[in-house]
Amino acid sequence: MSNKNYIIDLKNVSKIYEDGTVAVDDFTFYVRKGEFVTFLGPSGCGKSTTLRMIAGFEFPSKGEILLNGKNISNVPPNKRPINMVFQRYALFPHLDVYDNIAFGLKLKKIAIPLKDEGGNPVLKINKNKVKALKREVSLAKKNKHLTDEEKEVKLNELNEALEKAKTTPEQAYKYKKLSEKEIDEKVARALKIVDLEALEDRDISTLSGGQQQRVAIARAIVNEPEILLLDEPLGALDLKMRKDMQIELKEMHTKLGITFIYVTHDQEEALTMSDTIVVMKDGVIQQIGKPKEIYDEPKNAFVADFIGESNIYNATMFNKNVVRFLDHNFDCIDDFPVNEKVDVVVRPEDISIKNENEGMINGKIVNKIFKGVNYQYIALVGKNEVIIKSTKEYEEGQTVGLKIAPNLIHIMKKDFTTNIYTDAWIDKDNNVRIDEAPFECNILQLVEGGKDEDGIIVDKKGKKYDFNDADVVAEVPLDKIEIIDDIESENAQIVGEIIDSVYKGDHYQYIIRTENEEDFVCISSYSYNLFDKVGIHINKDDIKLRLKKEVSNYEI
Amino acid sequence: MRFSLQRKQLCIPYFVFLILFVVIPILFIVFYAFTDAQGFFSFDALVSFFTSTKKINVLIQSLLFSVLNTLICLLVGYPVAYILATSKAKFNYVVVMLFVMPMWINFVLRTGATRDVLTWIGLSGGEHPYIATLIGLFYNYLPFVILPLYSTMLKLDKAQIEAASDLGCNRAQVFTKSIWPQTIPGVVSAAQMVFMPTMSSYVIPETLSEGKIVLFGNSIYIGFSNNQWNSASFMAIIMLFLVCLSMLVTRNYTEKDQEGGSSKW
Repeated sequence: MSNKNYIIDLKNVSKIYEDGTVAVDDFTFYVRKGEFVTFLGPSGCGKSTTLRMIAGFEFPSKGEILLNGKNISNVPPNKRPINMVFQRYALFPHLDVYDNIAFGLKLKKIAIPLKDEGGNPVLKINKNKVKALKREVSLAKKNKHLTDEEKEVKLNELNEALEKAKTTPEQAYKYKKLSEKEIDEKVARALKIVDLEALEDRDISTLSGGQQQRVAIARAIVNEPEILLLDEPLGALDLKMRKDMQIELKEMHTKLGITFIYVTHDQEEALTMSDTIVVMKDGVIQQIGKPKEIYDEPKNAFVADFIGESNIYNATMFNKNVVRFLDHNFDCIDDFPVNEKVDVVVRPEDISIKNENEGMINGKIVNKIFKGVNYQYIALVGKNEVIIKSTKEYEEGQTVGLKIAPNLIHIMKKDFTTNIYTDAWIDKDNNVRIDEAPFECNILQLVEGGKDEDGIIVDKKGKKYDFNDADVVAEVPLDKIEIIDDIESENAQIVGEIIDSVYKGDHYQYIIRTENEEDFVCISSYSYNLFDKVGIHINKDDIKLRLKKEVSNYEI
Repeated sequence: MRFSLQRKQLCIPYFVFLILFVVIPILFIVFYAFTDAQGFFSFDALVSFFTSTKKINVLIQSLLFSVLNTLICLLVGYPVAYILATSKAKFNYVVVMLFVMPMWINFVLRTGATRDVLTWIGLSGGEHPYIATLIGLFYNYLPFVILPLYSTMLKLDKAQIEAASDLGCNRAQVFTKSIWPQTIPGVVSAAQMVFMPTMSSYVIPETLSEGKIVLFGNSIYIGFSNNQWNSASFMAIIMLFLVCLSMLVTRNYTEKDQEGGSSKW
């Protein structure tokens, strides 16, 4: 059952294009009446596709879109009480401002219930409904993304509804167009809302970008839609105009009281205007929440990175409410199991700068940019960069103390799929050194079509490479790390201690920590005890290598 | 200074060309149109044109042929161009080329072949002069309709079409209220490419109707070849006048076309 307050309700909506690309994947989400919702994400994340499905330009491959509880998934756009403001306005250049705005009104037909002479409602078979249902049936038959079973259930439902519509008479309506006076009044009102009263008779091509934008908004809101969709409407405006329009749109939303669904890739725009933000990536919702929630409590590293500026670090829970990153143990508030690998987010404005040795850690300022209201510094702490915003001035090269309050350290769960070692290197025997231990690896993957000639790699064109001492990033999937019980055996390439074990239904996930505090995360179906000493073996073809520098640096 | 001088010099050949091949011939035509055989100023040609029912009939017949040919070409060419421009198939360009290819075959040869084909299917010019001529004109001018329409339709603004349907247009209304207005510049240039050339066409009616249909172009040619330079020149002036008129009528649309930059034609 759908909630009455939900004006639009997307249920497990997916969009799969003919070439197999999944634009939107299992999108479940609802919008309350009168809300200002923003879909936010990088280009190609599926936000526009979702909007276009709500508008009716695309139909979902799977799932349902409910408008006020009614399924509108396959209703064409002209039959939805939803209007859209397009990215590049899409005004009609052959019409003037007035006719552009009146466009929808001139097409609009108002339904008046038919009554017979006695004042009783006239009942007739609803032909439009029958037609729409027939269309649904034929669409359902053609849908390739449903399983046979799902299809049968759906077809049965539709056929039942079709039979019902064919046999039960409903209230009949006659349709009337709006009178010219009514249209005049509505257009005048819309023009007033967007502040364009004087421009009624102007040609579209004589308007500035900002004015065209306003006409586009007026053209949509004049139809009094239940939902206004806005597809990056401010993208084509300059910065100043954009900021003004943001505020105006927000005011318009309050004044009109209709639901706005807004699409943008500009996180600042989203934070400024929205009641609710939906952050998307690769067709999947990452987080839904109020702007402040999303900013303060990002759910994962992607959201943290995308919304606002942030410092994100790999970290380990050191103790209860103590997290270790930047080679320091910080007190924190978020509670995660000890030894769990986590991502830590610290906003640049949440780090305070102290004198050397007076903070929690020391960092050396390597970059300073004046940003108007404050300075943005980049400080080096060990090998890590820390972005800091501060109103006080410090000099480049200065060593300062940094302090972060426990409540400003935000810890996010890390989902492991692979071990990444960013400070691996290749030794003279063409083995990769992870934590100084040599692992046999397939060095040929660094050069396309390469061949090994006595430790020198030769590519197809005969260029020779020597990778001795090359810095690489090594990746090993969790399931490719083999735990060796006998630590004396030849197969054990490195030895470590099991510091964490999580049972994941049918297997355990272990973290094995070496003497030098390098962690190997692996899965196994066998049970080990905490603090067991075990060996690790990785097959040479399971280590994926990526050079940190261009391959040409190693040419000889 | 030196640069601007060089640029001016570059204009000279074009200027000479225009004088020799455009201005002087037009002046000649105007001169012959308003003089008599002795070279004295006279309105004889004008009077004889407007008093000769035969000549007026030729003008009207030519206008009718032009209108009809333009309409048929647009009716056939518009959907073809639309389908080719909007469908996603990869062979679109090949199909466009197939439509345009006849343009590159020698015109007289092509028209002769058309005549033979028409005779072969039983539409010989001797028996069906009107139909044969119309088919020949249509066949010849269809590419001139498809090309400008195709290039206009390639640039159809999809967002505008979506906006129309978003604002309540059903499929038919989407066409009349969004697609059609957007393609008007293409339609106008296509019509211009067909209308006047049809009037002045000479080889097609001559060959396909086996001399039974005389269009304006034929009658000008006959005039000149019978040494009636004055009356033929006057008819040429009429043609020129009609060209100017048609350009004047369509000026509004083509101007918009330039702003939008939506057509190469």
